[in-house]
Amino acid sequence: MAIGRSRTKAVVLVADQLAAAPAVAGDEEVVVARGLEKTYGEVQAVRGVDFTIRRGECFAFLGPNGAGKSTTIRMLSCLSPVGGGRLTVLGMAAGIGERRIKERLGIVAQDDNVDQDLTLMENLLVYARYFAMPRAEARAHAEELLRFMQLEGRSGAAVRELSGGMRRRLVIARALMHHPDILVLDEPTTGLDPQARLLVWGAVQRLKAQGVTVVLTTHYMDEAERLADRLVVMDHGRILREDSPRPLIESTVGREAVEIWGREGEDDGAFVAAAGQELVLHDRHGDVLVLYSRESGRIGKALAAAGLAPARMLVRPTNLEDVFLTLTGRELRE
Amino acid sequence: MSGTWRFLRMAGSVWWRDFVAWRKFWRSSILLNFGEPLTNLLALGVGLGAYVASMQGVSFLQFIAPGLLAVTAMNAVTFDAGFDTYDKLNSSGVYAAMLTSPLTVPEVVLGEYLWEATRSILYGAVFFLVILAFGLVHSIDAALLIVPLVLIGVLFTAPALYVAAVARTHEQLFYYFSLVITPMFMFSGVFFPVNHLPAVVQDIIYALPLYHGVALARAMVLGQMTPDAYGQFLWLAGYTVLLAYLPVRALQRRLTT
Repeated sequence: MAIGRSRTKAVVLVADQLAAAPAVAGDEEVVVARGLEKTYGEVQAVRGVDFTIRRGECFAFLGPNGAGKSTTIRMLSCLSPVGGGRLTVLGMAAGIGERRIKERLGIVAQDDNVDQDLTLMENLLVYARYFAMPRAEARAHAEELLRFMQLEGRSGAAVRELSGGMRRRLVIARALMHHPDILVLDEPTTGLDPQARLLVWGAVQRLKAQGVTVVLTTHYMDEAERLADRLVVMDHGRILREDSPRPLIESTVGREAVEIWGREGEDDGAFVAAAGQELVLHDRHGDVLVLYSRESGRIGKALAAAGLAPARMLVRPTNLEDVFLTLTGRELRE
Repeated sequence: MSGTWRFLRMAGSVWWRDFVAWRKFWRSSILLNFGEPLTNLLALGVGLGAYVASMQGVSFLQFIAPGLLAVTAMNAVTFDAGFDTYDKLNSSGVYAAMLTSPLTVPEVVLGEYLWEATRSILYGAVFFLVILAFGLVHSIDAALLIVPLVLIGVLFTAPALYVAAVARTHEQLFYYFSLVITPMFMFSGVFFPVNHLPAVVQDIIYALPLYHGVALARAMVLGQMTPDAYGQFLWLAGYTVLLAYLPVRALQRRLTT
């Protein structure tokens, strides 16, 4: 069985590639969605989304629970039938059992579905069999990947002895067994401690440097900001915005956020008036009024000039979290 | 690679996964699947058998031994395919992981059939050695037991996979075990001939797949491969073909929506 041409351009995993130059995303479109839809019974999970993912980039889907990210990712991974519209992956129409696509995708699902009955090494070797990889090649590559994910020395351990972070690293190693062109990560660091998150991020950055296309969903804005070249913000099955992180942040909420702590309504009008032309938008939640400013360092001065001296004020750069909450609102999602 | 060869090879990789998992605890697994039929054989065959002069011309122990062999195979695959598949679907994520690879649901199902047929042969063989040691095997025809063992392995795996796919809780699996499997065990002619029962009851028993497994195993062990025995084989083969596709749709609904 042919594994596709991906085998020849095997991902070379070398320890010192942390310093590798970031790959430049090419023009080749590896995933194209046009009017993509999905309905479960009465629920319209995805309502006509368009996006294009290019080879070598990291493309992220952000959105609250129920936004349609995972459904989109599952259709893209050929795990769920396309409900409507068009979805092509590596030039082929996505669909259930489309093995020519699956042979070239590395899929890391949300839940750690490593095989509890097997050791780490067995997990990788058994998975390689599903791709009909020759045994010797599989073993050599499995050892390489265990080193890459810093799991070496544990290859004979039972999976149930592993911590959550180790399990996630094993799932990622498994997804890389067949040298995929596209790595699909559905919330890869949910539930991990900060050290484990850093390790996963490092691995994703190294893979990107080697030319692997990465498709990511996440709830963590710092993760998206750090890893994604481009991202979409989804809500209620639609794409609200699409851009690179920094331009998206600046076009939505400006460069700087000024948080003013104090009871609702006290002087909101005065603060907003004083901020004047600099203000992109303002937002109050609970005891905090946030003024978003087009440029850095201006609103603080404008407030001082107007004689307003809040008891407690925090000035910080804007981030994706501001974008996210501005676009999708603050109410809790189930 | 041709389609059929590919299909078999992919199913073989699923068989391999089950084998790798099984070989870690094969001793306890064999012991577990062995204790119950051996208890039945000794308690009923030797204990109760002392009060039963003969049954259809043979000792009671001799009468029940081949039937218990068929039951051993049925139980070994039913419980494994039931519980194990339920866990693979609901907690361990083994099937979800398989489907991230090029494996398809029909390949996974065939792989499970191959594996459960293997288990059926293994556990059947262990029980066979015991009845051989008891001097209860009377014909070289017993070598043919591998055929009903394979058929029993597949035909009882199919509904167990289906039940595991549609069950919402562990308890619902037990409904199947206690309402279907246990009555089948009691009424399939393992412990008494069914030909003295009312005609309508006989007809119902004739519809039970295990009945034909028991009758065929008995014919092979006693060296009585009559035309009737070939008929039993056809019944078993027919059920196997009929049930084989049953779990595919149910598993697809669970795994690919």
